[in-house]
Amino acid sequence: MGAKNKKSLSGTLNRSIITLIILVLAAFTCSIFLIIAKERREYEISNSERVLRTLSDSITASIVNYSQVSRLIITDDRLVTFLRADADNVDMGMINDARYGVLDILYVTEGADCVIVVRDDMIMMATDRISYTYDHDIMNSDTWRKEILDSRGRAVIMFNGNGACVRNDGKPVITITREINDVLTQKRTGIMLMNISSEVFSLMLNTPDYDNICIMGFDGTFIAGNRDVGKSYSYNVSDGEIRHNTIEDENGKWLVSACRAGDLPIAILRKAPYGTAGMPYGVVQVLLFLMLFLLAAVLFFAGLLTRKLTRPVNSFSKLMDKNRQSGELTLIETDPPYRELNMLKDGYNNLVLHVKDLIAALMDNEKNLREAEMRVLNEQIKPHFLYNSLETIGFLALDAGADDVHDALETLGSFYRDFLSKGSSEIPLEREVHIVKDYLSLLKLRYGDIIEDVYDIPADTCNYTVPKLILQPLVENSVYHGIRQKGEKGIIKISSFVSEGKLHIKVMDTGVGMSEDKIKELTRVRTGDDADGSDKSFGLWDTISRIRNYCGTDDVVNIKSEIGEYTEVELIISGSARR
Amino acid sequence: MGRIYRVMIIDDEESARKLMRAGIAWDSIDMEVVGEAASGIEAINIIDDIKPDIVFVDISMPFMDGIEFTEVAKDRYPGLIIIIMTAIDKFEYARKCVSLPVFDYMLKPMVRAEVLKTLERAREKLDREGVAYADNLDETFAEPSQDPGGMEIIRKYLDENFTDPKLNLAFTAQHFGFSSSYLSRRFKQETGKNFVEYLTELRMNKAMKLAGEGVKMFRTSAEVGIPDPNYFGRCFKKHTGKSYSEFVSSETGKQQ
Repeated sequence: MGAKNKKSLSGTLNRSIITLIILVLAAFTCSIFLIIAKERREYEISNSERVLRTLSDSITASIVNYSQVSRLIITDDRLVTFLRADADNVDMGMINDARYGVLDILYVTEGADCVIVVRDDMIMMATDRISYTYDHDIMNSDTWRKEILDSRGRAVIMFNGNGACVRNDGKPVITITREINDVLTQKRTGIMLMNISSEVFSLMLNTPDYDNICIMGFDGTFIAGNRDVGKSYSYNVSDGEIRHNTIEDENGKWLVSACRAGDLPIAILRKAPYGTAGMPYGVVQVLLFLMLFLLAAVLFFAGLLTRKLTRPVNSFSKLMDKNRQSGELTLIETDPPYRELNMLKDGYNNLVLHVKDLIAALMDNEKNLREAEMRVLNEQIKPHFLYNSLETIGFLALDAGADDVHDALETLGSFYRDFLSKGSSEIPLEREVHIVKDYLSLLKLRYGDIIEDVYDIPADTCNYTVPKLILQPLVENSVYHGIRQKGEKGIIKISSFVSEGKLHIKVMDTGVGMSEDKIKELTRVRTGDDADGSDKSFGLWDTISRIRNYCGTDDVVNIKSEIGEYTEVELIISGSARR
Repeated sequence: MGRIYRVMIIDDEESARKLMRAGIAWDSIDMEVVGEAASGIEAINIIDDIKPDIVFVDISMPFMDGIEFTEVAKDRYPGLIIIIMTAIDKFEYARKCVSLPVFDYMLKPMVRAEVLKTLERAREKLDREGVAYADNLDETFAEPSQDPGGMEIIRKYLDENFTDPKLNLAFTAQHFGFSSSYLSRRFKQETGKNFVEYLTELRMNKAMKLAGEGVKMFRTSAEVGIPDPNYFGRCFKKHTGKSYSEFVSSETGKQQ
């Protein structure tokens, strides 16, 4: 009853296993994702670092190179002459001489866009006077000058000369400035600005791999590369460390890395997507393999568990069920693989044995009781004694010439001989009719003329077998509840015929008849509960019940009656074999 | 219709025997009740004198029941028609002996109509087969042993074996390869005594001897080969003129 609602062991096991599998899958998926993400990031980071360091080295090298060129320039004779000359002596010729001197050097130096030399008295020489706009106010300002002068002759890097020289076409330039000191006097003679074209850096980036790189000044001046990448510049890289940051936009996830180019105030930025290039295939493969292995292990374990636990339990309960259905209490012969199940089996078998013992004891009791009852009955009836007495009295009657007494005794003996016989439970119809004849001839002795019995038993029905003693109760009923109730002479007619392979026996009496209710009561199929035997017609009902059992159908009796006229009970006996 | 057939009734109930005898109109069916026996033992002893064609045997009798009697009789009297009578409670027991050459089983209490039917069938069989009592052996077959000392051997055999309750004329005849009637005739010729009388004499002499020693009758009866004390008692009285107890007291009285 409650078992239906309870969880099944195998169900619980399966659920646990499925949960386990899901957990394993989830854990593996998570770790694979995490590992992939981390691996990709690290791959890109190392990629970025490699690129950035290379660029940083190149930029530094080229700046160092230009710085040296700038040193060379300030030793040029014509420039030195220009610088040493008194302000009054400086003329266009001198300036041009200096220009040519510088230009001579610049000719062999690619990328140097323009060199400007400003004397302390603000007389200026520039190699390119057309492409630039020069701001003399800035050049003359203390703040601008201070930065250069403080470095005492070392190169100072600026962008667009910090506003002092800006190309008219807006192209950015990197300015290497330095203080010029006279070789002889060691006195400052001026300031030199050397503008390096951003083309130099653009060239550095002129490979397909470097299209995601941007070179910028610390002040935010765009120098070269991908301008879009420069937009994401917001790093303080002055300490020389490489910084990485992951940003996300509508195009996906990106790694933005930034570093300083040597000790220059230049930042290099790289923005790279997390591509498939960084996929750690090996690791993922191992992980997947591990996952599959674990899954297989879990499934195997589950199967094992089911086989080892659920199956023995199932087969065990099947055996118990078989026991229950067959109704036979047999010991369960199974060898469960676990001690616990074995205990269960032993428990069950002990129970079975106990129940068997109980039943055996009960049966024994019942049997003894029955036997005792039978013995008592036999003692009471003592057929032998009865028959011998009948014979003795019969002889006495015969001896005394009372032949009718002898006849009666013979009939009585014959009746009891058949009535009490223990043998077969089915007899030929002929014998059954004989019993009734004896019975009725004895009754006629008692009641004289009130009964007339008529028989119509065709020879072809004589040998049909019928359950023993089915007619006598019917006839008894006819006499006591039919004819005797009427108070006048009645006829009892017993007839038989065969129809459709079934034997029909009719017992008709011209008695008082039977009410509909009574007929219904008699023919109704009763359950065991209300067959309490207290009914007056128990004998009749019991007979009908016996025929029903014998034929295996409830359709064995047919009662017709008319109150005050007649009653006819028809028995239909199927399955009776002709002997 | 041939001769009148001879019927023997073996039943320990006297009233049953009487009823059989009186209840059936034997002459009307050309039969005659020629003898009764109250036990198998008695039947074995007297059957050779009675020579029945038909025997009714009750199945439950003391000392030797109907089955045992039938077993003994079937070899000695192959043509004999044996009809077993049985009450219901012994019927299944009787059925177990179907291997016996029993002509019919009849349920007690007997009903005349049924008895008559069975007898009618028995008559048909007897008429058809023409078998009569003790004619089972060809007389000529046994004639050659007309050895004068032949009956001496028989007497010796009886002297040694009379305590066997199953011993009778037919058995002895069979044992020596004679026919019963031949043996009976020869025996009478040579010894001047009836075979059955001689055998009874042997037993009674021994019985008187035992009675003289004060042995109880039921012991004596078993000792001398008539283990049915009722029948033995009758035999004893017939032979000695005294009942066994009278004989015992007179004998023991003499000695004292």
